Amino acid sequence: MEKIKAGLNSFGKAIAEFFKEFGEAVVKGDIFVKLSLLWMGAGYVRRKQYIKAILITIFEIAVLAFTFGFAMEYVSKFGTLGTVRQESVFNMVTMKNEFNDYDHSFLILLISLITFVIWAVSIVVYLGNVISVYHLQQRAKQGLHINTFREDVHELINKKFHVTLLFLPIMGIVIFTIIPLLVMILVAFTNYDQHHMPPSELFTWNGLNNFINLFGGGGMTITFGYAFVRVLAWTLVWALFSTLTTYIGGILLSILINSKKTKLPKMWRTLFIITIAVPQFVSLLLVRNFFADGGIMNTICANIGLTGWLRDIGLISTSYIPFLSAPIWAHIMIILINIWIGVPYQMLIATGVLMNIPAEQLESARIDGASPRQIFWKITMPYVLFVTGPALVTDFVKNINNFNVIYLLTNGVFVTTNQAMANSQAMETDLLVTWLFRLTQDYYNYKMASTIGIVVFLICAAFTLIAFNRMIKGDREETFQ
Amino acid sequence: MVATMLVGCGGSAEEAAPSTDAAQTETKTEETKTETAETAPAEKQDVALRMWGAEEDQEMLQGMIDSFVANYADAANITVELGVESESTAKDVVLTDIEAAADVFAFASDQLPDLVKAGALQNIDELDAAIQAYAGKSVADIKGANAPGSVDAATANNALYAFPMSADNGYFLYYDSSVISADDAKSWDSLLAAAEAAGKKVGMTFASGWYNASFFYGAGFTTGLNEDGTTSLDFNGTADYSGVEVVKGMLNIAGHPAFMAIADGDISNQIAGGSLAAVVSGTWDATAAQTAFGDGYAATKLPTYTVGDAQVQQGSVAGFKLVGVNAYSQNAGWAALLAEWITNEENQKIRFATREIGPSNINAAASEEVAANIAISALAEQSAYGVVQVVGGNYWDPTATFGEMIAKGELSADDEAGIQTALDNMVAGVTAPVQ
Repeated sequence: MEKIKAGLNSFGKAIAEFFKEFGEAVVKGDIFVKLSLLWMGAGYVRRKQYIKAILITIFEIAVLAFTFGFAMEYVSKFGTLGTVRQESVFNMVTMKNEFNDYDHSFLILLISLITFVIWAVSIVVYLGNVISVYHLQQRAKQGLHINTFREDVHELINKKFHVTLLFLPIMGIVIFTIIPLLVMILVAFTNYDQHHMPPSELFTWNGLNNFINLFGGGGMTITFGYAFVRVLAWTLVWALFSTLTTYIGGILLSILINSKKTKLPKMWRTLFIITIAVPQFVSLLLVRNFFADGGIMNTICANIGLTGWLRDIGLISTSYIPFLSAPIWAHIMIILINIWIGVPYQMLIATGVLMNIPAEQLESARIDGASPRQIFWKITMPYVLFVTGPALVTDFVKNINNFNVIYLLTNGVFVTTNQAMANSQAMETDLLVTWLFRLTQDYYNYKMASTIGIVVFLICAAFTLIAFNRMIKGDREETFQ
Repeated sequence: MVATMLVGCGGSAEEAAPSTDAAQTETKTEETKTETAETAPAEKQDVALRMWGAEEDQEMLQGMIDSFVANYADAANITVELGVESESTAKDVVLTDIEAAADVFAFASDQLPDLVKAGALQNIDELDAAIQAYAGKSVADIKGANAPGSVDAATANNALYAFPMSADNGYFLYYDSSVISADDAKSWDSLLAAAEAAGKKVGMTFASGWYNASFFYGAGFTTGLNEDGTTSLDFNGTADYSGVEVVKGMLNIAGHPAFMAIADGDISNQIAGGSLAAVVSGTWDATAAQTAFGDGYAATKLPTYTVGDAQVQQGSVAGFKLVGVNAYSQNAGWAALLAEWITNEENQKIRFATREIGPSNINAAASEEVAANIAISALAEQSAYGVVQVVGGNYWDPTATFGEMIAKGELSADDEAGIQTALDNMVAGVTAPVQ
């Protein structure tokens, strides 16, 4: 926590420093620096940096043109997300529909958001520009050398190469991660669903209603609150068990294969890796069919009398074993199947780690008379945990969002018999992420899906922050040593 | 019950009559079409259209496109780009981005309410003048030429929103006549008894609001779509039986040792599995059933089931394939003409000849070849009890769950209060406003 606080503090200081510098530049700057407040190129012209002046002027014109020529039309409607509904009239002569100038809520939302991001970047550039022009003024006053354009460019590939190098990745993150994320967050505060779908219909702001529906109750008709708690609980149980079982299984398997008593270790390793070679969705769909109500497994169990015996002792009430179609059975089966899918990966990682355990440590422990069990718990496990700890955290978060295993194993096989769950389109086997998927894919309920998405994000972010903070403390290495 | 049946039959007989008129007007207006084409050669447009159809149909559709382009060559320079999109998933893809979807696309009729709600479909009535001018028939002619059920399925808010293409999207009973006699297949009781005697099973999907509604429709219950997109269920209005009685009938079937509840989408596998003597499915499983049942392959309407002391004919959902025009098409007029063309009588005949798809066009359906097709004639027999299912999005999950509860035996026929609670919960879920 202190680290986070310290981080926030230094971030705040940096911002305050930036604005202080800007204020100083405006107050103490000469006429050209002040003119730069209007025409961004002015200061550069004064210092004879003509190319820079032209470039920054083009930037200024482009931002203004984008704002007033294009974006304002959308941003001005951001408050309502549009008011004009689409209407069309068929024109017999051209054989075409003629549309009115209608509003498209989603475009308004998206383009407004992109505009806000562009504005934010422009303001930083604008303020930074005044500061850098003021710096130029100071250099000129002190009689220092002022860079030519060529020298500036040269600096970008030498001294300030990190700036050049980071430019593309940061642009990528802004365009492909931050903007979609912000769109999703905004959608959670609208009523964007099947009955408010652009372009034919408009959607608008909805306040916190979606969150109230997600966390609140409201009888049989509004069961999102009921379903959410259960889906969340299963998501966490699943993430915990699937991570731990594959992790422990992988380590045990690799120890077993690495053991000197095991013959043909390479063959065994190869056999297990074959499961990785087959695409996951193929094996999952095959396994789903094996364990379906009318699948091969059920036929075999019925033929050998297992089904009858289970029914006799009252464990099942159906004429088949509901491997993937009754909640408890399905939960257990999914975790078991996931072990089979996930263990080979963990085995590969664990093999790599085990081979790196310092041999002298094991040797000296053995000479000191430690039993194999003691060696495992006191040396092997701490070492493996230390090296794979961060990966374990990532695995847990990955499993919270493990769409493939859950969706492919239950889609089309599992039908809930819990009516309150069904009324909000959820199932006992759903993770938050599969629920979210079906809400968007089958029910176009984008607003609830976005709301759930935000919750998933918060859970993952909180867990990752806490776990990483505890696991990767700087002093851990010494403790281990 | 009897009343609804009569209305069902009467309706189709009544509508069948004017179809011959429609055929006549069609030939009459042929001439007017060539006239309009001659009067407007100067303004010959360039028209580019995109169309989506099922993967299996691509070659056939290309043939229809070629004849369409040739037929209207005098009026416009048309180019049509054909893309692959299954009728069963058309809605999902179209609604992802309506403005980027094809001008003309085929879809299953249960998707119509959602597509209309989202404003994705062009109102065909508004294009009446264009269709009359170029195709030489009015929208009323098209309505008259197709089976009334298919026109109902293509209609929303009293306007036609798509062209009926085929009448094959319903279910009926396949059975193995070497195990089950035609008489046995008439009621669930005798059907299940005969299957049990032979050590075989009768399969049906319960966990789907599309299949399990058949019992409720049979007893005279109705479903509908409200203005605000919610679904209305009428379990009391015209029905002669209470919901609890119907559910008891379903529980008796589901609890029979010879009954097999099949997961939605797993029917083909189960037919191939070989343990079934009879199964409720549609024309898409005709080949699978034929292979499994061999010489015994037979099909008929759905059986009757026991409600209280009476035998009630099981209803069904009458499903159709429709061809719609994108409301955001750049060339709505020509797109509608293309949609009309690929669904006209001639092309429905071609569709049946090449792909054995049951026609919705009355004349095309009346042909001998269609009558000789076992599956399609069974479907036609069942269509007298078919209901066009118009429901909102909240219908599906609660009804699937209800069916699964019955299939899994979580309700008991003795526990009337329990059944009533479950019914109430289902109705609450189905009729709930979208949150």
